[in-house]
Amino acid sequence: MNNSLNEALKAKAAARAGEKKTDGEMALDDVARVKVLSPGRRVFKRFVRNRLAVFGSCLLITMFLFSFAGPLFYAYGQKQIFYKYSTENVNYALAKSNTAYNGYVVDGSVDLARPVVNAMNSNIKKMLEKDEELRLVFEGEDAFLIRKLGREVYTLSKADADLVCTTGKSKALIGNYSMVGKKIVYEKGEDPVPGLEETAADNCKGKGGTFTHNGVNYTFEKGAAKSFDLYAEREGLAYVGKPLGEEFEQALEAAAGKNVFEFDGSTWLLSASGNAAKVYRLISETVGRVYSILTADTYETGVRLADDFRASALMAAYSGGSFTSSDEEYTIEPEESGALVVYDGSGAEYAEFTDFTVRRYTGEDTMDYDLKNAITSSILEMISTSSRNCTLSYALPMQNETGSYIYDENGNLQYSDSELTITQRDTGEFVVNCEQIIYVINRFESPSAKHILGTDGDGFDVLARIMYGGRVSLMVGFVVVFLEILLGIIMGGLAGYYGKWVDNLIMRLVDIFYCLPSMPIMIILGAMMDALRMNTYIRLVIMMAALGLMGWAGVARLVRGQILSLREQEFMVATEATGIKVKSRIFRHLVPNVMPQLIVTATMGMGSVIIMESTLSYLGLGVKHPLATWGTIINSVSSASAMAHYAFIWIPVGLLICLTVIAFNFVGDGLRDAYDPKSKR
Amino acid sequence: MFKYTVKRLLYSAIILFFVMFIIYALMYNMPTSYVETKARELASRPGANKSYAEWLADLNAQYGMDKGVVGGYFVWLGNAVRGNWGDSWAWTIPVTQVFKNTIWYSFALSVVAYIFEILIAIPLGITAAKKQYSFTDYFTTVVSMICISMPTFFLATLLKYFFSVKLGWFDLSGMQGRNYMNLSDFGKFLDVAKHFVLPSVTLIIINIGGLMRYTRTNMLEVLNADYIRTARAKGVPEKKVINYHAFRNTLIPLITTLGGMLPGLFSGALITESLFAIRGIGFASYTSMTQADIPFIMFYLAFISIMTLLGNLISDLLYGAVDPRVRLS
Repeated sequence: MNNSLNEALKAKAAARAGEKKTDGEMALDDVARVKVLSPGRRVFKRFVRNRLAVFGSCLLITMFLFSFAGPLFYAYGQKQIFYKYSTENVNYALAKSNTAYNGYVVDGSVDLARPVVNAMNSNIKKMLEKDEELRLVFEGEDAFLIRKLGREVYTLSKADADLVCTTGKSKALIGNYSMVGKKIVYEKGEDPVPGLEETAADNCKGKGGTFTHNGVNYTFEKGAAKSFDLYAEREGLAYVGKPLGEEFEQALEAAAGKNVFEFDGSTWLLSASGNAAKVYRLISETVGRVYSILTADTYETGVRLADDFRASALMAAYSGGSFTSSDEEYTIEPEESGALVVYDGSGAEYAEFTDFTVRRYTGEDTMDYDLKNAITSSILEMISTSSRNCTLSYALPMQNETGSYIYDENGNLQYSDSELTITQRDTGEFVVNCEQIIYVINRFESPSAKHILGTDGDGFDVLARIMYGGRVSLMVGFVVVFLEILLGIIMGGLAGYYGKWVDNLIMRLVDIFYCLPSMPIMIILGAMMDALRMNTYIRLVIMMAALGLMGWAGVARLVRGQILSLREQEFMVATEATGIKVKSRIFRHLVPNVMPQLIVTATMGMGSVIIMESTLSYLGLGVKHPLATWGTIINSVSSASAMAHYAFIWIPVGLLICLTVIAFNFVGDGLRDAYDPKSKR
Repeated sequence: MFKYTVKRLLYSAIILFFVMFIIYALMYNMPTSYVETKARELASRPGANKSYAEWLADLNAQYGMDKGVVGGYFVWLGNAVRGNWGDSWAWTIPVTQVFKNTIWYSFALSVVAYIFEILIAIPLGITAAKKQYSFTDYFTTVVSMICISMPTFFLATLLKYFFSVKLGWFDLSGMQGRNYMNLSDFGKFLDVAKHFVLPSVTLIIINIGGLMRYTRTNMLEVLNADYIRTARAKGVPEKKVINYHAFRNTLIPLITTLGGMLPGLFSGALITESLFAIRGIGFASYTSMTQADIPFIMFYLAFISIMTLLGNLISDLLYGAVDPRVRLS
């Protein structure tokens, strides 16, 4: 029935329209004459007429597409770090005179005490100072011998040495005095001293001390319970065990000033401490390590010398000169300059030990002998002219654009001339710098086809960051405004509908929240979350909640005001009369009437929330790295120098924020005008 | 009028009480507070005769932090009412001293910006309203919209970039030039004034948009009123219609708004001052906020809350005073 009526009307209208076309006149009852628009369409039409509002809407749609759809089509992610090969002036090599003695194991089975090994450098330096050939060091009961083999070559061996005698002032343990029997038990080889027991009985008290008996000074120390160890102070030669006779004493005297002498076919060593010295007879030694300041450089590039090659070479250097390593025969000869040169079986120069090392800065020994030589001679020239830097040109291995070396078809490295700069550091080493192609993070790259807006300080693509940042910024705007509106509608609706004490209470609450300074509070919250080292996603949520909580007061005021006036209107009386529930009276009949104002407020509020969020992120108190928002992107170049140099990063982002906020404001303005053209702006 | 004022003041006091309580509760829950740091520092000092825990308890008692949020708030409130605001933790001098050192810089900055805002925004707004839908109108609307939409930090950075980096006219930040100490008194004044140019320009641009729009809409509303039509119908010259009838009526909302802004001139510009390193109260409070300096933050927030409430009150009172149709009750 209804349908047919409609169809009939339509047919009539169509017929009329056809007629109109023919005679171009309008009848008074023409359906098409008065075009009645629905309220929604009317608002839309008014909105579309406003050029600024349309411009704003287009801008917003673009912005949303850019932020939410853009990343789907854009190749890079927001946390993707870009690298590049770049020609940088790097520390290529380090040249220095060796000052530390390096040890090479000759015989791993020899048990060398760790403290002795650690003290080798200082022991060798002491030996150099005193010009000693041999030195005995003790660690506990064990004796170790350091022997100089030749210039800057030393061996460390475990020694077997007997204490023979002491010279000079010395203390010797003569026995143990026991308080129980007032008796002295003498050590082996000590003659009893008459009357000592009585003197000891008078003096031995407490923990220790000294006393004199018959012109000899004695020291006592508390040993076991009620007994004391007695030491006699002696001058001159005192044997441990049996005396060695006149001839030995003459030899000892002849060795005055030295710490080693030969007698009776064995080696005797003096170990001095203070005025006294102990004399040891060296019985045997087994070499464990060889120490040298010299480092080996091979003439052929890239040959790695084993440590045992170095050990046997150094051991052989001053004893015959020939040695075998890996079944090959080598000879080693000291040069005049102090260097040691190694020849292989055919007599060709194979390697060289020098105290001046040139190595790659990383410590690798991968440089040509010729290059090392060239650097060394440049440094020598620098020293002679006492300049602190110089340059030299040398053929270095060629690199392709990805930093790896170029080989020809035979597998040989290609070389190209490079400029090397040698600089002496204050610490005395020489640093060789040159240009090399290395793999680095692509920081602050200017805009190019690959990165349309360049890259930022972390090697992120700025355009990708802006897209993802837009997502967060817009989302924050939406969520916060949604929260504000929700809270505002509930509180304002309740206050406006109920009035009386509810209204009073809620409006006082509104007053309080209206008065709360939001920016300082957000800054305090940000600092608080900084201190808690909160996860950036949790921060985001808390920030949105806080912003929403602080912004609802304005909305509530608006809703309440509108409802107060709407409440008195007839349609509300009608709802009351028909007995509709309070809940639906407020939220189905009152609130929809406030919607136009709310939509306008929400749109305008979106802009201010985005500004707030970006300001907080800019201050580093909002969303944090590596999550991108528009504020954090600008924050990453906020220092004075970055701001001046990398304007291509922050200017587009800033403009984007501006444009978005402007767009929201234009749309909000347009909506207000469209809803109610007579309303006060 | 008097009764109304007293009533409003009492209301304001109650609002202030709760506002400060919310802020205090927030500050009270700051995790790594200054108190803990200070206690650690005192305990690790050579010759310290108390442990960290003992120092912490001592300091908490001193600052009323051991009585819980409510108790602590009343301790603070009691001290504050007696004018005893305590020593700033971040600046290590009395809070009132920090206030005295900084407030006049902030005030100078705000006053300059305020005067220029009025001088620029009101004439522009009125011109735009006089020629609605003209080019001037659209231009003013768009410019005011841009000003409103500009984040402070972006505007400040732009100004710095063009005027400090590119043109080199001003220093990037700070309040004094390099040879400030060698200048005469007048020279010193000029130097500081020069450093205030960019911050005040920032403030002017940020605030101008809102005022311009407000002037324009109010003027438009007045121009659409019946008495203006009557005046025109009577044949009153257009100049007189605008300047005498319309403008004076537009002034009513403008004066109330501008009067309400007066106390805000003392609140300092937090972001602008921080960005330009102007040693005003905004910058001082920003530094304090990031360092959890409870005494100073509480003082500052109480101060700006009072200023906000005072601004509202002044604006309402002015409304009653300027517009004879409005009666306050």
